[in-house]
Amino acid sequence: MGLITDQMPPMIEAFPGGPAFLTSLDSIINWARSSSLWPLTFGTSCCAIEVMMAAGAAHHDLARFGAEVARPSPRQADLLVLAGTIVKRMEPRLRTLYDQMAEPKYVIATGACAISGGPFIYNSYSTVRGAHEIIPVDVYVPGCPPRPEAFFYGLLTLQKMIREGETIRKPNERRKPVLANLPPGLTLEQLRKEMIQNLESHSVTKFSDKPTGGF
Amino acid sequence: MTKEELLQQVCGLADGMTIQEQSNQPTVNVPVEKWLSIAKTLKSDQRFQFDMLSDQAAIDWPQENQIELVYQFYSTSLGHNLMVCVRVSRQNPIAPSLYQLWPISEWQEREIFDLFGVRYSDHPDLRRLFLEDDWKGYPLLKDYKDDFMLERPW
Ligand code: SF4
Repeated sequence: MGLITDQMPPMIEAFPGGPAFLTSLDSIINWARSSSLWPLTFGTSCCAIEVMMAAGAAHHDLARFGAEVARPSPRQADLLVLAGTIVKRMEPRLRTLYDQMAEPKYVIATGACAISGGPFIYNSYSTVRGAHEIIPVDVYVPGCPPRPEAFFYGLLTLQKMIREGETIRKPNERRKPVLANLPPGLTLEQLRKEMIQNLESHSVTKFSDKPTGGF
Repeated sequence: MTKEELLQQVCGLADGMTIQEQSNQPTVNVPVEKWLSIAKTLKSDQRFQFDMLSDQAAIDWPQENQIELVYQFYSTSLGHNLMVCVRVSRQNPIAPSLYQLWPISEWQEREIFDLFGVRYSDHPDLRRLFLEDDWKGYPLLKDYKDDFMLERPW
């Protein structure tokens, strides 16, 4: 990306129509990035089980959003799903894992523990109070543990953020961390509709109106 | 052997042993001075044959100034289980190590030493297991405090 971000903008902007070309290139790159998030398998406690339900189980099928290829190596991953309690001894390892991931990298912190220390915030000798103390977080998903739907909502929020986020001219410029809180009163039907809409507007294949399997 | 018979026979091994009533499984309290010899009997006696030490834990009782050590035994040949509670003083928690009888207890005892500060006599390698070697204090004691910890405000 260094070549593209450093050398392309000045080269192309000189041509007539160059800025417009850059903008459409941005949307292509961001579309590609947001639709092929490869998560790193990283889970430390109970929330990890919940994320496994969301990511690994057929019922929820993370593959629809291009994020099903969980990699065991940080060098091949670009999404760190921080699921679970972080203790002080985990802190340097987490930092190392994050540093080893290639840019651009994104972090979703799921669960009360990764947000603030959660149930272990008081009277704990070892729990780190929030992932933000160690690494920058893009999306927070609240819950203890969050439901798979909530995790999906976080993932969709992250995809939205990536599409509107970085551009070639301003690399590394991101939105502030987002709390992917399911809005109150949101029903499963609405969430399903939003997912279908999302899939249709950003994919090259056609989808039927109705989901064939379960949610 | 029924639960009652087992408790009767175990309590007959020595004086000072009592049955703990509030428990959903056979449980006896053993005085710490007699614990090692009773443990030997529990393992080798034909009636008991407790060849498996499935768990070892500790509870801090600050009001009573005691630390309670809890042992879970299971007999793979006879299929019965037994819980043993041994109380040691909080100021000077010393208990016999069961390493010679059930080798699994080496790491279990290291963990309890790490988090509660119970010292096991005749343990081959009593070092901290989870925390750093230079850690001060024993964090699972109820009165433990350090600089990192946030006090609960209510
Ligand atoms: S937030 Fe709740 S479910 Fe998630 S790791 Fe913490 S305690 Fe477990």
